[in-house]
Amino acid sequence: MYLITNALKNLWRNAGRNILIAAIMLAIITSTVVTLTINNAAAKIIDDIRLNLGSRVEIGQDFMEMRAAGLDGRTDSVHLSIDDFYAFATSDYLRKTIFSASMYGWSNTFCALRDDPSNPGARERGDGQGGIVLDETCKLISTSDPTTLSEFGTLRHITSGRMFAELNECIISEELAALNGIALGDVITLQGAIVTDKHYSLTVIGIYADFTDEYSNFMFMFNRPVSENRRNEILTSFATLISAGWETSYGLHIRNEYYLKNPDHVRFYEQEVRSKGLPITYNVAINQAAYDKVTGPLSGMKGAAFTFMVVILLLGTIVLALISFMAVRERKYEVGVLRAMGLARSKVAFGILAETVMIAALCLVLGLGIGSAVAQPIADNMLEERVAVAEAEDAASGLGNRVLFAQGQMQTNDKAAGYTPESEIQVRLGGEVITQIMLITLALTALAGVIGVTLITQYEPLKILRERN
Amino acid sequence: MTKCLELRNVTYRYEGSRETVLQKVNAEFEHAKVYTIIGESGAGKSTLLSLLSGLDTCQEGDIYYNGTNLRSIDRDIYRSQRVGVIFQSYNLLLNSTALYNITLSMSISESKIKGRQAKKQAAYALLAKMGLDRETSHRKILELSGGEQQRVGIARALAHNPDVIIADEPTGNLDAETEQAVLAIFTRLAHEEGKCVIIVTHSESVTAIADEVLSIQEGQLSKLRRG
Repeated sequence: MYLITNALKNLWRNAGRNILIAAIMLAIITSTVVTLTINNAAAKIIDDIRLNLGSRVEIGQDFMEMRAAGLDGRTDSVHLSIDDFYAFATSDYLRKTIFSASMYGWSNTFCALRDDPSNPGARERGDGQGGIVLDETCKLISTSDPTTLSEFGTLRHITSGRMFAELNECIISEELAALNGIALGDVITLQGAIVTDKHYSLTVIGIYADFTDEYSNFMFMFNRPVSENRRNEILTSFATLISAGWETSYGLHIRNEYYLKNPDHVRFYEQEVRSKGLPITYNVAINQAAYDKVTGPLSGMKGAAFTFMVVILLLGTIVLALISFMAVRERKYEVGVLRAMGLARSKVAFGILAETVMIAALCLVLGLGIGSAVAQPIADNMLEERVAVAEAEDAASGLGNRVLFAQGQMQTNDKAAGYTPESEIQVRLGGEVITQIMLITLALTALAGVIGVTLITQYEPLKILRERN
Repeated sequence: MTKCLELRNVTYRYEGSRETVLQKVNAEFEHAKVYTIIGESGAGKSTLLSLLSGLDTCQEGDIYYNGTNLRSIDRDIYRSQRVGVIFQSYNLLLNSTALYNITLSMSISESKIKGRQAKKQAAYALLAKMGLDRETSHRKILELSGGEQQRVGIARALAHNPDVIIADEPTGNLDAETEQAVLAIFTRLAHEEGKCVIIVTHSESVTAIADEVLSIQEGQLSKLRRG
């Protein structure tokens, strides 16, 4: 007990030196808390994104392969049936599948926004070959999982009614409803604009307020087609959309998403779907570009935080080792006196170690407090800077990814278009970080202690006292 | 009288040196006696005290404490419980108070005096015997004069009630009155409590209280006077 008491008293007796050691330890611990918390929080978000975006496999047409097949006169099976897609969705590698599809629609029973309200369905024109082409006025968007309509809850809110659930139910924007006097329970009719034999009678089950940009896609900055006005979207279930017939090659844009249990199993999954008949003209891939774009700033910040932590730990450890070495050397005389008084080496070492542990414990508490308080603003600042850099880079490279077509329409090749870098991070001091910090503190304490103990065991009391005297 | 310490053919040389400081020294120190050792500077007096106090070991020969070879005794226990050493240069904990130096010595030696307050009281009493009042007891060693430090050193050596008291010039910085008081304590400890008191000194007044006076010369220890 007296060893602990002596150690406690020594903290005050040698306040100057101990404050120096404590300051270094506190700096190391605080920096490590900040960097570790940021690092762990970023890693967790990246993991989450990886589990979602990184595990999301899309099966899409490979236009280069299709072109090559066409040129070679191959008639590879480019048409997939809905049963094919359902078969692809049945796999042990998958945790869920979301079926999505969209098609352009046309109606002569209601007006679309920016259409000619006095003449609905007027966009009917000849195709030059004696046929009729219907200029699309709306877009029918479907999904098998309404919860994936991410804008709901942020930029879109159902103001009356509910989300579609049953066959032939749909929801529309307030503007579209107001323009046509559509109320909940009304039935709207429309047909496919390109594949005109698809007819739908949909019951409006919900009406939503829409705060999205009418034309959010850069491609439509010059030409603003009515069908691309987001207020004209009609949202319904995947089952409803395909109930009118299944066409994949013409008029229907399929965008199914297969979510892997393990993002690393994409190649195994591809082998499986190929064996189930997926032709070479279809790709099986995760959207790496989008994943990189979303996680880029976070990964950068995580890397920077980790590097900073390593540097701090290395430099801090060296400085701490030197200070500990000097501190014990400075106390050589005291050690000599204690040894001469008959205090065993192990007890002297215990006393020195107890002092270091007390300093470390104090620094740990302070470091955890200060570190957790400053981690969030530092993380926000770091991420903000990295997002700004990523956006600037994206803007600079964006034009290169766009192809200007003859009619003035822009088309994008950028697979990451529409994705934005993750710009928010919630930094929280969790049990994992506390454990890691405690282990680091323990290692630092052990280091300082080992230096002290090693030196002490080399000291012979008489030699020390002779040198002193 | 029983033998307390015994030297048998003790030879000592400094590390890396061929020259012997002590050459096959044989001597006996008994309980209840005061010994003084005199000799010229560099003769090996302090070395002899270091060997007797267990701070150093001889290259040849053996030292026995109560019949047991010091080589087979735990040196830390020997130093903390059996021997009280008064160093010429005091060797106190400079940043601690006089009182703490004494109570710490009691704690290290696992003194029979238990409890913080009891130790404090015993330390006050010991320091008072050395002429140090309570106010002085609470001052740091660095704030004490040489004489006061020497008195604290003596008090510390006696704090754990050792069998053997080894002192290197213990009264060098004391005034005549305190010197006499300290010497009286040494005499009483030897004659009344059976301690073995060994003092290295140049002082005639110290030599005067000795039961035996030994001299070190050319590495040999010889008796000059028997009390």
